[in-house]
Amino acid sequence: MIGQVLGHCRVVAKIGEGGMGVVYRAYDEVLHRDVALKVVKKDARLDATSSHRLLHEARASSALAHPNICTIHEVGENEGELYIVMELVEGKSLAAMSAGAGLAPESVLRYGVQIASALARAHDRGIVHRDLKTANIVITADGLVKVLDFGLAKQVGSGIVEGPTGSFASIEKTSSVSGTLPYMAPEILRGEAADQRSDLWALGVVLYEAASGQLPFEGRTGFEISSAILREIPNPLGPPVPPGLWAIIQRCLAKESIQRYQRAGEVQAALEAVQSAAIVSASPGPDQNAPRTTVLHSVRHVHVRKGDFLLLVGTTKGAFILRSNAQRKRWEVGGPYFHGHNVYAIVYDARGDQHRIWASTQSYWGALLRSSDDFGKSWTNPQQAPIRFPSDTGVSLKNIWQIALGRADEPNVLYCGVEPAAIFETRDAGETWSLVRGLFDHPHRPRWMPGNGGLALHTIVLDPADHQRMYVAISAGGVYRTNDGGRIWTAQNRGIRATTMPDKYPEFGQCVHKIVMHPARPERLFLQSHWGLYRSDNCAENWVDIANGVPSDFGFAMLTHPKNPECVYIVPVESDEFRCTCDGRLRVYRTRNSGASWEPLMRGLPQKRAYETVLRDAITADAFDPVGIYFGTRSGQLFGSRDEGRTWLKILEGLPSVVCVRNAIVEDASSHLRPTMPRTVLVPSHQTKSRPKSKTRQPKR
Amino acid sequence: MPVTFHIPGALREFTAGQSRVEIAHSPKTLADALSALCTLYPGVQDRITTEQGQVREHINIFIGDENVRYTGGLATPVSAGSEISIVPAVSGG
Repeated sequence: MIGQVLGHCRVVAKIGEGGMGVVYRAYDEVLHRDVALKVVKKDARLDATSSHRLLHEARASSALAHPNICTIHEVGENEGELYIVMELVEGKSLAAMSAGAGLAPESVLRYGVQIASALARAHDRGIVHRDLKTANIVITADGLVKVLDFGLAKQVGSGIVEGPTGSFASIEKTSSVSGTLPYMAPEILRGEAADQRSDLWALGVVLYEAASGQLPFEGRTGFEISSAILREIPNPLGPPVPPGLWAIIQRCLAKESIQRYQRAGEVQAALEAVQSAAIVSASPGPDQNAPRTTVLHSVRHVHVRKGDFLLLVGTTKGAFILRSNAQRKRWEVGGPYFHGHNVYAIVYDARGDQHRIWASTQSYWGALLRSSDDFGKSWTNPQQAPIRFPSDTGVSLKNIWQIALGRADEPNVLYCGVEPAAIFETRDAGETWSLVRGLFDHPHRPRWMPGNGGLALHTIVLDPADHQRMYVAISAGGVYRTNDGGRIWTAQNRGIRATTMPDKYPEFGQCVHKIVMHPARPERLFLQSHWGLYRSDNCAENWVDIANGVPSDFGFAMLTHPKNPECVYIVPVESDEFRCTCDGRLRVYRTRNSGASWEPLMRGLPQKRAYETVLRDAITADAFDPVGIYFGTRSGQLFGSRDEGRTWLKILEGLPSVVCVRNAIVEDASSHLRPTMPRTVLVPSHQTKSRPKSKTRQPKR
Repeated sequence: MPVTFHIPGALREFTAGQSRVEIAHSPKTLADALSALCTLYPGVQDRITTEQGQVREHINIFIGDENVRYTGGLATPVSAGSEISIVPAVSGG
């Protein structure tokens, strides 16, 4: 090879050899400069497609002109051999320099800023390094950082590489995963695609190694290393590493990519802030080693297995997870999660083969959407609130009232209904959220009036058949519908009485408390208003009163039977002045004929001095046969029925005020999970033989 | 003389566990001091202020013993050696 000419470069000497190929020192005879020439091994399992990809990626990377990126001058092919001509970098690898006890913090900061700057440039061009490590970083005699091998990066978004097995780096290893194990982010080990935040993880490993001489995640085998990366928290770095640098490293090493810095430029800015020495930190407190991820050791956790049945309970002081099985007889209680926070919405999301629980939290410190992939053992706690109003709106988020999962075939889509009334959507599983402007800019919005709980968009109903159609309910604005995926919204309140307005049937402004739909009958909706029960059979074009035989048509909670589209459950309360169950009797009402008549369900529910309220999302139905119904009260009681509401049992009492109840069958509700229990197993403690025939309480009209 | 922030327990997970953070340069106003704190510990920002940059309704910031709500808010001048406390308000149910 020595003496040969590739392109216009004459090979001078061999300077190194790696799994991918051999690196030579060469001389560019046209431009008269020393260069490095990497010749890809012929036996590197590079088929025609891979070779095309390598060329493509390396050419893309050659556009990365940055002082801290080793420049790629040329990529070519000579007699079937691929070669890359690049800047000749002479210096020491960061790996060699960090060996032992690591570098002085000042050096770590100086090099870290440059590495982050290089990543920022590459990320801006859509290029992810995917194999950042101290061995790929060279420090020149002048102290200049050069990050090597950007040519091996996957070009994000170009579509030329579909999965990790298609990456160029895989030709270096037999593994189907590209990169170097101790630097790999958890998401890569889980088989997910690498993105720029995976590079920020690797940067965290590099900084840790540079500061201490140790890798943050170690093991004797690949399995042990992978396990540490996925589960363990690295040993804390104390003095002389400044706490600010340690905080940056910890944030880079957050297990969930959403908890990390989202951009390399942010890491650069943070490192510069510590570096500038303008900010110094006081001596660390006793909690210095607190992990970045909130792991709630003081909270009782449930150990969830496949086939388990869960109740997710949001209260005004935190969330609880109740675990049972298909029998739903014994309950193990986990929590409280989010001590002292309002949890207005909590939901299980099993789309896309995950077991994720989403929860909204609200406290003095703001409102956040958080998630857990381990049934509550750890929750994301993003540094920056992902749901936020754009600055031009002048509006600030107060609370998240509703989390609505997108349709089954859109596993990355979610919607949040918030206060002040607006809807946000994400199309990337919660990584980024955007305000749905079509509704926010609606000319009616300035005239919506806050209800008792605030001006909230609390209900989102998706049409399962028509992907463009969606309904929302606002207190007090009424029902709005879009038929075009959210651009144009129309008020759909014809026939709904507004008791608190001079015009009793206005276009909008009704205080609608809940709307529900059965997926088998998407044209039909049921509605519980501030006063009034309604049904629409024509996609909310108009509504008819169905308060036929209920003790009051005031209420909050409403639920459709999961299997019978004619069947709806409500829990009437007496009035807006006295928001408690009528006559101190806790009764669920059910219609099985779409509202033509209602029957009380009370066996097992307290019928004396039970002044309860069941809030709008505090009722849920499971998918077993027979269907189970569960609801929670403002007094902190949780009731359940395993026979569709015929008989009830108290599951729990003494909870904080219950705001939201949802359920989950972990894994598919396949036939072997269906309960075999007898329908008469419950012994009611209160029996009422005759149905009360009281007149429906309604406001004076 | 540095300016010192007292960090409440709820926010220490964002300040590497520290209950006190000193800002060594001389911020002129509370906004400057908060900006320096949030550059170092970005998670603190959204907990203290709304996305519109206002101090949250139920969060009080004291410089010494003075609640900044009555001394000019974020524009309140900060002097060398100031002790700044971030405290949730006494409210709620």
